[in-house]
Amino acid sequence: MSDLRALWRSGRLWNSPLGGAFEPPKAGDHMLGPIEKVDCPGRRYREDEEVDAVIVGLGAGGGVMLQRLAKAGFKVVGLEAGPFWDTERDWVSDEAGSHQLYWNDLRITGGSNPLTLGENNSGQGVGGSTVHWAAFAPRFHPSDFRVYSEDGVGADWPISYWDLKPYYALMERELPVSGPAYFPWGDPHGYPYGPHPTTGVPDVLVKGCTALGIPVSAGGPVAINAGAHNDRPHCIYRGFCIQGCKVGAKFSTLVVHVPDALRHGAEIRDRCMVARVNMGKDGLASGVTYFDADRREHEQKARLVIVCGYAIETPRLLLNSACPGFENGLADSSGTLGKYLMAQAGNVVLGRFPELIRMYKGPPANSLTEHFYETDPRRDFARGFAVQTVAPLPIAFAKQMATALNAWGWGMRRVMMDYNHWATLGVLGEILPWADNTVTLAEEKDSFGLPVAKVTFNLHDNDKKLMHFARQKVEEIMWAAGAEQVVQEPRYAHLVGAARMGSDPRCSVVDGFLQSHDIANLFIADGSVLPTQGSANPGLTIMALAARTADYVTAERENILARKRGSRHAPPMRHDLSPQGTAGHGVPRLKGLAPGKKDPLRTRI
Amino acid sequence: MKSQEVDPARTPVEPTTGQYLEPMAQPGYYPGYSTLGQQAFWDAATRRVVRRRVQEVPPIRFFTPAEARLMQAVLDRVLPQDDRDEDHKIPLLPRIDEKLYYNRIDGYRYEDMPPYRESHRLGLVAIDNIAAHLHRQHFVELGAREQEEVLQSIQSGNPPAAGEIWKIMSPQRYWSQLLHDALEAYYSHPYAWDEIGYGGPAYPRPYFRLERGEPEPWEVREQRYSWAPPPLSISGEYTAHDLSHPEVGRPTGGAGGTH
Repeated sequence: MSDLRALWRSGRLWNSPLGGAFEPPKAGDHMLGPIEKVDCPGRRYREDEEVDAVIVGLGAGGGVMLQRLAKAGFKVVGLEAGPFWDTERDWVSDEAGSHQLYWNDLRITGGSNPLTLGENNSGQGVGGSTVHWAAFAPRFHPSDFRVYSEDGVGADWPISYWDLKPYYALMERELPVSGPAYFPWGDPHGYPYGPHPTTGVPDVLVKGCTALGIPVSAGGPVAINAGAHNDRPHCIYRGFCIQGCKVGAKFSTLVVHVPDALRHGAEIRDRCMVARVNMGKDGLASGVTYFDADRREHEQKARLVIVCGYAIETPRLLLNSACPGFENGLADSSGTLGKYLMAQAGNVVLGRFPELIRMYKGPPANSLTEHFYETDPRRDFARGFAVQTVAPLPIAFAKQMATALNAWGWGMRRVMMDYNHWATLGVLGEILPWADNTVTLAEEKDSFGLPVAKVTFNLHDNDKKLMHFARQKVEEIMWAAGAEQVVQEPRYAHLVGAARMGSDPRCSVVDGFLQSHDIANLFIADGSVLPTQGSANPGLTIMALAARTADYVTAERENILARKRGSRHAPPMRHDLSPQGTAGHGVPRLKGLAPGKKDPLRTRI
Repeated sequence: MKSQEVDPARTPVEPTTGQYLEPMAQPGYYPGYSTLGQQAFWDAATRRVVRRRVQEVPPIRFFTPAEARLMQAVLDRVLPQDDRDEDHKIPLLPRIDEKLYYNRIDGYRYEDMPPYRESHRLGLVAIDNIAAHLHRQHFVELGAREQEEVLQSIQSGNPPAAGEIWKIMSPQRYWSQLLHDALEAYYSHPYAWDEIGYGGPAYPRPYFRLERGEPEPWEVREQRYSWAPPPLSISGEYTAHDLSHPEVGRPTGGAGGTH
């Protein structure tokens, strides 16, 4: 017996894979996950050729726009500041080695509650932040679209939940989203792929919520494959979601929409930093100027410019594009460009358990509750929050301990030796849109000589009350799950707003189809257009909005390519524009509630 | 342990007997566990990155020799490794120096902080100023306990000297930057993964045991032993900031405020 144990310990049993060595990818193949390959044709369009559309930034919004417009037959070019990842060669199964996935170029952050940027919330590279999001994919609630009408704070959206609902359902099949067959909050619905098994941290959330009578959704909704899907394997529970999923099980526009876009003739130019949107004498956009990987300056002419740079780079680009006639920046006649930036309250509550948790196993995004999502008149603040699983790897956890425990030195070494005993839950709380939370231009310049963004963030009274309440509630859940010690780290998650949509051109940048009020052939299709943010992760909503705008541009093709406004009517939905094999059947068909009707199952604490 | 090697401000102890503990090849509760021993199961790109981290320690190129000596002394207290034997100490200074040499920033700078490189240099000047103010000695000449007191004054936001520097640089933000850089260097190293029982790279081989914190076949069960920080050290006292158990009253806590 002890001989066997010694053999086991020696590593000789385990020092080579039982099935032989793993095959590395073949030379010349561009890999997106272990199976999927993509042809990366070089240039399709000549230097001086005017294309139908140029898309700036290929993240959640830009990836979907690129794919949709290419499939609908538009001549489209996508420009991305970061690289076109080969996931087998460029990505590693390692926390520190994944630093390259984030937007690491300089930004200035300030205000009374400055946001951390970089790895916390911004990506660079084809796929954008979808390559390192944790992949929680809940819908927004119907109430999110009417926050001003219902609560007298924030803003109303120019569209309703019911306008977006079919696109939510479409996206849930394209990504696809795994989750329960019945998801009870907001507009109740089901998910096309089954929920994931729970691991240590989800078990803590389920146990704590159950003890307190709080309903909880286990195993989703997350955009992570619970079964193989096309050339994407199912999840292997390795826990490296936010380091880039080498498995290809986690959705990103890189592995789903980009390959389909290339199949339909889209051209992607990576490592291209767009410096400005150019304006013609007719007051319309004529294209963009950008720097390529060799820092050479180019101009790409386009009939349609679609900016998808996310909540910091989109306003920065439009501010940096100021020109005669648009002295304060493009599309800013309302004066709201760069204002109403939002981040969600993301307090992390950490609990130490007597038993082992081993939270590095399994996707950090697994289970959540939206029980506290809506405004509750018994609380002293408007709107609410969700509670979600998070599961930091060692470096991120150590940094949280530095804040939550003020640990350093021997104390840090000691608490880190208990890493496997800790579980972490995150608040995802709605911070309201405020005019003094801004993206402006700083004095500092980047390596291209372009002014960098300055991000200013301040919490207001409602936000502080909400965060305080939410934090205490999550601490209660953690104690109820059996924790013997509970601490918390305040932080923020996600970035949206700063180029918001609205029906009134006097106080918004784009309309409900994401078309600029000021410049008819300029669209913004990313998270910066959100007027409010709810307590749901924004990714699914950004992609649903982009798919809807793509349908609009396609339906109004003649007007829009003639640089005129469209009819402003909701376009017919184009199911045929989904990537091949993604928009199938097999989804539970829950009858949607009529607008305004309360869900009888919803209770409030 | 030989008495001349024991320093009550540097050497951890067994708390009940008070006996000083020998330096170990692998501290932590997972004896015999080796993430590097599993590298045949990792993908090639990951293996390359982790091996390079272990085998290739970069030269010092950013810090001057004097700065490097001071920074090494600071790191020895920020994240002490006196419990590790010489062959298994994790190199922190070369990693931080490399990050500074290539000016690898994290994507942002607080408006109340100087640029990344400048703030690390200013911080070292400030640390030596505080040491001179409190003890009329250079930081590197101080005992471990006195060094910790200097660092704690910055950590708590009340540095007693170098006021000119703290006017242009927030002490708490400098402290976070210093500590975060040290944490990245330490907890990215496979020796640290073995110490804390973290699974390490997991592709293409997946995890099989997802339930109840069970170890994989190649992982090791936790085997706890009793140890305490050096008796004269002050950096082990983080428990003073805990939220205590609800039964004994629960202060609002953590770091408070936001970052």
